[in-house]
Amino acid sequence: MVTDFNLETEKRDNCLVMKTFGYINNIGGEKIVDEFNKHKNNGVNNYILNLAESKIVNSIGISYLIEIIEKLNSSNGKLVFTNLDPTIEKTFTIMGLFQFAEKADNVENAVKII
Amino acid sequence: MNQNLSLEIKLPKVPDIELVALEGLQLMGTSLGISEAKIGEAKIIVTEAVINGLEHTGEENPSVNVQFTMTKEKLIILVTDYGKGFVPENVEDPEIKNKLGSDNKRGWGLKLMKSMSDDFLIETGINGTKITLIKNLV
Repeated sequence: MVTDFNLETEKRDNCLVMKTFGYINNIGGEKIVDEFNKHKNNGVNNYILNLAESKIVNSIGISYLIEIIEKLNSSNGKLVFTNLDPTIEKTFTIMGLFQFAEKADNVENAVKII
Repeated sequence: MNQNLSLEIKLPKVPDIELVALEGLQLMGTSLGISEAKIGEAKIIVTEAVINGLEHTGEENPSVNVQFTMTKEKLIILVTDYGKGFVPENVEDPEIKNKLGSDNKRGWGLKLMKSMSDDFLIETGINGTKITLIKNLV
């Protein structure tokens, strides 16, 4: 049972790819937002969130992702989720996240959308 | 054989304790050959029920009681907290468009529990709240 959360980032073309590792709870969500804010303040407006290594989320963690969507919405930026576990994809769908963010099978396809 | 597995645990209010319940759920589901998709959805239900219960449980008894009863066909989840109860009708159904621009981006737990389960019952009063969730597994 691993609860540590980690995040890797990589600049790709005109966007930032963030890959998460572990449970996206309040701590994971906050770390994602902190990293996002750092790059947003430097002018990056397009983001890919690769959740291949995050199989568990909770609604508190997702509320932080809504904060990112809100900020990108107001700056005409884009957020694409990739490598979603089917349960997480269903959770995001129920919450309506795909009304304001996009999804792709993998990072390569997400780059094409952006 | 129509196997019936049960698990009852009392979870104290400590960070990420819901993962203990999820571990039990995974082991029970795997043992009965339940699909990963159904186990995954059940995990969301349990996660939300436990974190919601722990958030609202009282200071006198800062814990929640979790019970699972699982067959190959059905999972029954009971989560009980010891808080002051609430009025379910007063809980607003969250909408993403309303959350954007709002300071409060939380409040999704009940919606996720209802959406992911096949039956849902809340019994609440001044001594606590019991949520019963039924998930069909076939």
